[in-house]
Amino acid sequence: MGEMDAAEFDDVVDDWFIESLKTYKDLHVYQLEHPTRVIEWTSGKTVCVAGYRSAKNELLELLLPLKLLAEENKGLCAERDFKVVHGGFAEGPVHCLRHIPGTRCAVTNDGRSSGLQVWDLGGDDSDVIRRTASVAGRSASGRGSRIAAGLSSDPRVLHGAESSDVLLTDLTSGQSVYKLKSDAADPLSSLQFVSDSVFLACCCSGNIYTVDTRASDAPRPSPPPATGGGDGVLWCADASPSSAGGAGRVARLSSSGEAVLSDLRDLGGAVSRARLDVLIDHHNWDDVKVSWAPALDDCIAASGFSGTVQIYDTSAWAAEPAAARPLFEHRGHVVSSQRADSLPVLVTSHVWHPERPRTLLSAAADGSVHVWDWVDQSAAAC
Amino acid sequence: MPEIKVTPLGAGQDVGRSCILVSIGGKNIMLDCGMHMGYNDDRRFPDFSYITQNGRLTEFLDCVIISHFHLDHCGALPYMSEMVGYDGPIYMTHPTKAICPILLEDFRKITVDKKGETNFFTSQMIKDCMKKVIPLNLHQTVQVDDELEIKAYYAGHVLGAAMVHIKVGSESVVYTGDYNMTPDRHLGAAWIDKCRPDILISESTYATTIRDSKRCRERDFLKKVHETIERGGKVLIPVFALGRAQELCILLETFWERMNLKAPIYFSTGLTEKANHYYKLFITWTNQKIRKTFVQRNMFEFKHIKAFDRSYADNPGPMVVFATPGMLHAGQSLQIFKKWAGNEKNMVIMPGYCVQGTIGHKILNGQRKLEMEGRATLDVKLQVEYMSFSAHADAKGIMQLIRMAEPRNMLLVHGEAAKMEFLKGKIEQEFNINCYMPANGETETVTTNPSVPVDISLNLLKREMALGGPLPDTKKPRTMHGTLIMKENSLRLVSPEQALKELGLNEHQLRFTCRVQLQDPHSDSDTLHRIYTHLKSVLKGYTIQHLPDSTVMVESIVIKLSSSAEDPNTKVLLLSWSYQIVTRYVTNIVITKH
Repeated sequence: MGEMDAAEFDDVVDDWFIESLKTYKDLHVYQLEHPTRVIEWTSGKTVCVAGYRSAKNELLELLLPLKLLAEENKGLCAERDFKVVHGGFAEGPVHCLRHIPGTRCAVTNDGRSSGLQVWDLGGDDSDVIRRTASVAGRSASGRGSRIAAGLSSDPRVLHGAESSDVLLTDLTSGQSVYKLKSDAADPLSSLQFVSDSVFLACCCSGNIYTVDTRASDAPRPSPPPATGGGDGVLWCADASPSSAGGAGRVARLSSSGEAVLSDLRDLGGAVSRARLDVLIDHHNWDDVKVSWAPALDDCIAASGFSGTVQIYDTSAWAAEPAAARPLFEHRGHVVSSQRADSLPVLVTSHVWHPERPRTLLSAAADGSVHVWDWVDQSAAAC
Repeated sequence: MPEIKVTPLGAGQDVGRSCILVSIGGKNIMLDCGMHMGYNDDRRFPDFSYITQNGRLTEFLDCVIISHFHLDHCGALPYMSEMVGYDGPIYMTHPTKAICPILLEDFRKITVDKKGETNFFTSQMIKDCMKKVIPLNLHQTVQVDDELEIKAYYAGHVLGAAMVHIKVGSESVVYTGDYNMTPDRHLGAAWIDKCRPDILISESTYATTIRDSKRCRERDFLKKVHETIERGGKVLIPVFALGRAQELCILLETFWERMNLKAPIYFSTGLTEKANHYYKLFITWTNQKIRKTFVQRNMFEFKHIKAFDRSYADNPGPMVVFATPGMLHAGQSLQIFKKWAGNEKNMVIMPGYCVQGTIGHKILNGQRKLEMEGRATLDVKLQVEYMSFSAHADAKGIMQLIRMAEPRNMLLVHGEAAKMEFLKGKIEQEFNINCYMPANGETETVTTNPSVPVDISLNLLKREMALGGPLPDTKKPRTMHGTLIMKENSLRLVSPEQALKELGLNEHQLRFTCRVQLQDPHSDSDTLHRIYTHLKSVLKGYTIQHLPDSTVMVESIVIKLSSSAEDPNTKVLLLSWSYQIVTRYVTNIVITKH
């Protein structure tokens, strides 16, 4: 009677695989030809990804697998693949990509200059993504620009590499409609609109400018609340979407693994803190990301420190920082890493599904893209 | 211009049936002859009127090639050969030849016996059709006739699936059929050498997808089975003997071992006998692992999986059963299904496509009440799961295949051109080749640039080498002069002298002459001298000589002067030349001066 040899055994059924039967409702694993650092929703069912090699790269708009999206009769749907619904070519790397809501327009930046490229994602009659325009940036710093899409009905894009060169440009006219008045050339980690006319310019130093485009005076930055971390600590931040429960909150994350939650109206103070369970040595700060769950109260996701994506329930955090354990950790990229060498693969991006509470997409430097719907084990245990 | 014509038969936006006509070097080949599974009427058959309006196809086709046993590639073959009429050769691999008739007969039974259709092929027709089949081995060149040769390559996808290389003279085409670029548990990955065909023909259907990993499909399968077992339910997996049965068994076996599960797993004996039989026959078509398995043990000897007895279906408690046939249309799987359908704790997992008219097809379309024999209705309460394990290439795979074969042109069938512009652009940019996408029923004509092999005589070769350095290389073409002799089927390039010798002809030299009259009072020699001086001044860069025998030579043109006997002022210039054009210029200059 034959036995499976050890290698075959591990190949077929490894620990993570077994565990995943209980820890994920759905799990899809894809391999792109080239890795992406961007995953951006362009509709409830489609995302855009793009390469970041130094020369020519592809932009792809992918339709999520029908099986994942099926509400009823999920079992009768066998379709598990991504469909490439639109594609195009960029002349350089794509480090940032934003979709302008209500349009078929996307804006990208190459990470090594401040200008933006504007794209038409294509309609039903063609599957080609075409570049339609460029928008000049103000910065000559050689840093890439961060981009945010305006929330108003006019197609507008907010962009800048440093706090001194933030511009709000109207895409129809190509004219800038607002310039942030700031002398400090503070490198930005992100830009984000929190309402039609108010946006946050989050700096790597931890400073956050709350800017009302209707006001005439120059906004003052709010520094991060004092933390244990020393100099040279970098920060990224995310504001909770206005649709989620709870008034505006901002989560900041530092390169030393500190997380700080503040109220939008008082960014200098801290509502609660925690020390996250992350590796803090070896990463590219540009890829580190923290984001609020759009449909799951108090939850944030953090990625970029390693090959995993961590979900934290911040409702348990207190004013005094304590070590926090993640509610869930997606280790799929580490486990199925395609790298030949032994270096850890890093997660380059993650996004939450806008409506499904526990569905996320994540991408890693080895070209993998995962779509996962995790199970809250703590809830199951109750 | 030499050209290859490709026509995918079908209409409109039809996908779901493959039947492609290729005209190459004067030969006509039909690639696949599939049934369209979505239609119930004659639209399911390919439309052969493109080939001929009525009558048999034999004289219009040099051969038919079938890539693999799926019905959308071979389902219309008996209709084509026996009802429309074709008596020429039909090529397919050995496993395809063995498995095709079984699937065709099953399909016929369902369509005719169950659905009562009439315009369909009979069992005898299937047998007659298979008599025309010539089986192919991998990588073996087969001469269909003096000029047409074909070769099969491993395609993965299913047992016996092949990609086909077709060659006439120096033009060639590769048709991929369905293929897969990543090996799985029982089949290897497609492979082809750098054969550089003029056209690589492939399906566009999967070129715009990115496949979910095999592990995730397997995970979903195990998850569903495990959940059912845990709640005490029974899992029925109807399988085709040569489909994924063996793979799924390996998966469950290792899972059971790992999780220390106790629920019994069974497979029906009919399944194991057939599968063992075929795998043994076609051992070279499976992958390394299966071959190793066979050598070590019987393929279906598992610790946790046992042979099924029909009485077990009534046993209480959880269990998993693999049973044939795969579409629940008859036999053991249907019997078990009838027993288990009424319990919502149970599950049926359909691992593949089901033909219309079968129970499998109905439940996959969400039907929850089935009409059985004798007007009895069956309430379908069990959970129905459709899982696709079939191995197809995707967008990345197609690029890999093009990289392997290095075709001069790419041609994609069964896609909407408007939805494929990006892929077309991607292929054209990355490989610098044209990508064609003919619509169904349309012919795409691809101009080829065939190289014509010619034997060159050693003398001529040596002469060329003496003229210009090392032997020419394929990257730097050189123009050379010679005489081409075409005799029977051979082409030879030799020097003109040698050609004349071979033909027994003497070489002749042609010289042209022209007389020009002038009026000039000077002496002959003076006039000639003035002509010489004039020519020297206007024809700079040419060799002009005034020779002692009273001729002027411009390069190889000879000018002689004489005067008319009657009138010494009338001079006659006799110009003579072999074949150079410059003489016209000379003649004009001389005339206008006076």
